[in-house]
Amino acid sequence: MAKIEASDSVIFGISIDSPPANGAFAKQIGVTFPLLSDMTHKVLKEYGIVEDFPLGGDKVEFARRTTFVIDKDGKIKHIEFDSTAIDPTTAVTICTGLNEKTGK
Amino acid sequence: MKRMLSFGSALLMMLAFLPLGALAQDQQPTVTTTNLKVGDVAPDFTLPSDQGRSGVTLSSFKGKKNVILAFYVLAFTGG
Repeated sequence: MAKIEASDSVIFGISIDSPPANGAFAKQIGVTFPLLSDMTHKVLKEYGIVEDFPLGGDKVEFARRTTFVIDKDGKIKHIEFDSTAIDPTTAVTICTGLNEKTGK
Repeated sequence: MKRMLSFGSALLMMLAFLPLGALAQDQQPTVTTTNLKVGDVAPDFTLPSDQGRSGVTLSSFKGKKNVILAFYVLAFTGG
């Protein structure tokens, strides 16, 4: 976390959970960055990372585990999927690299 | 009688394999792959946060901070 802040970046977790559920989750796993709630799945759809799980004739939508790195111009610099997205090292390294490029 | 038996065993085999097939299908998520590419403008959004009452808007960080968005499956899931 200190590394991420030092690289002039902010981090957000996003899922389809409600804010209270996310708050309890944050406490349990000890994260300090904000967890955002996409309960309408609108953002998941816009980012194209909805996973449909068939469940008893219905479909349940979840987010695919994905990390996006967005630079200060609002442009996507890096996308990581699934298990590689668990480890934030690459994302942090990229952010540090972005700052070096812009001379900050 | 022999015919009946073989019919019975064929039915049994079908029954044995049917639930397996249904289960395998249940575990296959349909993955939608993002159309977004590196270099694209990240779609803007405002979402409620677990911290504080005001939502978080992506574009509010433009020109100020790099943003890492970590989408995760559900709260209380490992990894």
